Amino acid sequence: MVRRFILAAACLLLSIQLGIADEKTKGKISIWLGYPETLDAFKLGQTEFKKKYPNVDVEILTFELREFEAKLAVSVPAGSGPDILALHDFIFPRYYEGGSLADMPADLAQAVNNKAIIDTPFRDIVTREGKPWGLPWWSGRNGLFYNLDHLQAAGLSGPPKSYTEVWQYAEKLTQKNEKGELTRAGISLRLTGPSGGTQKFGYFYYQLAGVQMFEPGKKPGTVQVTIAKNIDAAARVLLDHVEHLHGAKKSDDWALKHDAQGFASGAASMFMRESWVIPFVKKNGPDVKFGVVPVPRDKAFGAFNAVEVLSVNKDSKLKDAAWDFIRILQDQAIVNNVLESSGWVPLRRDRDYGSVLAKEPRFAQMTSPPSDQVQYIEAPNVAYEEMTTRVGEVIQAGFRDASLVGNMDGAKRVMMRAHDTAVKILKDNGNYSD
Amino acid sequence: MIPKKHVPDLIRDGNRFSDKIMREQESVRGNLAARFQEFRDSIKRDHLLWVLIALGPVFALFCIIRVYPILETIRLSFYRYHPTQRNRPFIGFDNYWRLLEDEAFRTALINTLQFCVMAVIITLVLAFAIAVLLRSIEKVAPVYELLLYIPVVTPWVPASVIWKWIFDPVHGILNYGLTSVGLPKLAWLQDEHVILYAIVLVSVWKMLGYFVVVYGVGLRNIPDELLEASELDGATPWQRLIYVVIPMMKPIILFTVIIATIIFFNVFAPVYVLTASAQGAPAYDFKVVIGEIYQNAFVFYRMGYAGAQSVVLLLFVLTLVFIQFTLFREKR
Repeated sequence: MVRRFILAAACLLLSIQLGIADEKTKGKISIWLGYPETLDAFKLGQTEFKKKYPNVDVEILTFELREFEAKLAVSVPAGSGPDILALHDFIFPRYYEGGSLADMPADLAQAVNNKAIIDTPFRDIVTREGKPWGLPWWSGRNGLFYNLDHLQAAGLSGPPKSYTEVWQYAEKLTQKNEKGELTRAGISLRLTGPSGGTQKFGYFYYQLAGVQMFEPGKKPGTVQVTIAKNIDAAARVLLDHVEHLHGAKKSDDWALKHDAQGFASGAASMFMRESWVIPFVKKNGPDVKFGVVPVPRDKAFGAFNAVEVLSVNKDSKLKDAAWDFIRILQDQAIVNNVLESSGWVPLRRDRDYGSVLAKEPRFAQMTSPPSDQVQYIEAPNVAYEEMTTRVGEVIQAGFRDASLVGNMDGAKRVMMRAHDTAVKILKDNGNYSD
Repeated sequence: MIPKKHVPDLIRDGNRFSDKIMREQESVRGNLAARFQEFRDSIKRDHLLWVLIALGPVFALFCIIRVYPILETIRLSFYRYHPTQRNRPFIGFDNYWRLLEDEAFRTALINTLQFCVMAVIITLVLAFAIAVLLRSIEKVAPVYELLLYIPVVTPWVPASVIWKWIFDPVHGILNYGLTSVGLPKLAWLQDEHVILYAIVLVSVWKMLGYFVVVYGVGLRNIPDELLEASELDGATPWQRLIYVVIPMMKPIILFTVIIATIIFFNVFAPVYVLTASAQGAPAYDFKVVIGEIYQNAFVFYRMGYAGAQSVVLLLFVLTLVFIQFTLFREKR
């Protein structure tokens, strides 16, 4: 009772403190975003921020994701760059190890360490030796998207429930013209873009192997490659892709429009992606009736999470103001906006997303995943882009090889090459773990 | 009122004053002329100094923009340089040894060589043929040259975006044309065997006009008497082309081959835009040397390794240029 009273008083004092305008602080804080769809949330935050800091300007710039990462990599180590760093989980280690992050204020650090506020897997991304260095803000959790009309027309009563059913459904949902050319993909696979391709290949791999292709190693920042130990699972996934790209079971083709654009235009009946697809398809394919379910299980049942972390640049001249901005971004209205407008799932467990879910129930699959679903996060490491790109090139070259149809040994050779490529790069960067 | 007795004095004084001014002016003019002559003499004497003063600022700018980055790139190629890592050790030739094992770079080099050879030959042969044809319709040739030059001044990126739509396997106009004459559709950017020709097509379209204009200038400078004389000697048009026109055009051909080689060997923008894997438009990952350098530098942040690749590219292009100079240079 006493503890609750103290907690309530502290919250009241904090809200009063946030409400008092700080006119002494002057200057500008700059924010760069690699996910422009979250701009609305930052603009809402900017409005609240200006009430407290009327003399501090806020500059928000958006970039395409890879361009954003390149700009950060060049500017932050040089002592410039934005005040607030919105970092993807796989590039977070780079800035922590480069000494580019400011110390977190105690209240925010406490929030990160509180399981009731931030779940443990997400806390672990930002914590080193027990000390958090950033606030996990949202996650892109994956799911299987399916076109309701296509399934009904094919006589299928509901979405696939298992890994095997995914491929069976894909064959039934595929459409071809009189020349035998595919006009609709039963499932839109990730066939190009090697780095992302590795990730999406991993969606299937995890369900069969029970582990990611690249798991965190024994020491923080190191990675272990699991492909060799799970070669049968890896080869099975590759074979399933190849058999549905060549031959009688063909369910996808490079010439068709892919991914969310393909799904929103009706060129694909199913595909796997993260939650941002929900607002995207509503906007770009308003006639498409779709549903989303967790990625169907096999031996394992897991969901990929791509996490965005908020931190402050150690070279920022307005660190306190920047951390205040980050506090404002935790407000209920702003996290609701993140979910509703961008589709990314806020990680605050102490917030109520009921109002958003009432408008869009499909988000519930992402905000409240099944209790037995394992939430996995990629092993962050400094060689992430190079490793995933080169491994993806090997895998996607395998997709094009029609001679692999029914060729388990050939598929194993390809996946071992992928394994060796990853090991070589990790060893070269000094972050390989046995 | 001026007293009468002072007027002559005044006039005399005025004349003396104006004489004095004129003498002074003549003296100044004489001094200026002398000074200018001195200046001209000093330029002749200290010629080198004046050249340095005149060209100095331009040369300084050139050094800052061109020379320093090249030297710094060469220096970086001997380091393990990652911009976000504090440890940047000197590693000697390790980056160069790594190139020998880099399959991706090898693929990029082969792709770039194939593309360069095809693009140079097709562009220059086509440009020469068009320039020769335009000579026969000299009055309207400038109109055609202008039309052909429009792609040259169009920036690479928007041009490549438009071509991406032209190449679209489902909605593109190229495949529409193919199917309308009963030919099968092609996956222009998706098929690994076809994408090279797609990129060559875009590059030839883009640069053709430039070389048509250059060859046009060269052809106009061939003396008509030579052509008339050879005609009188009974040479056919083909013989005139082979034995008169082409030999006379050798220096220009050398110039165009070198420029075309440099342009096409450094291909990047059309490949990047055409094969950019936006989520809904997959394309085959066609590797070229500059693309590999870009990826290593700005995606993998291996700046030192990208530096080594850049040095190799520089040596490669210099070698190609040297070979072309040797082959096409006029023998004295």
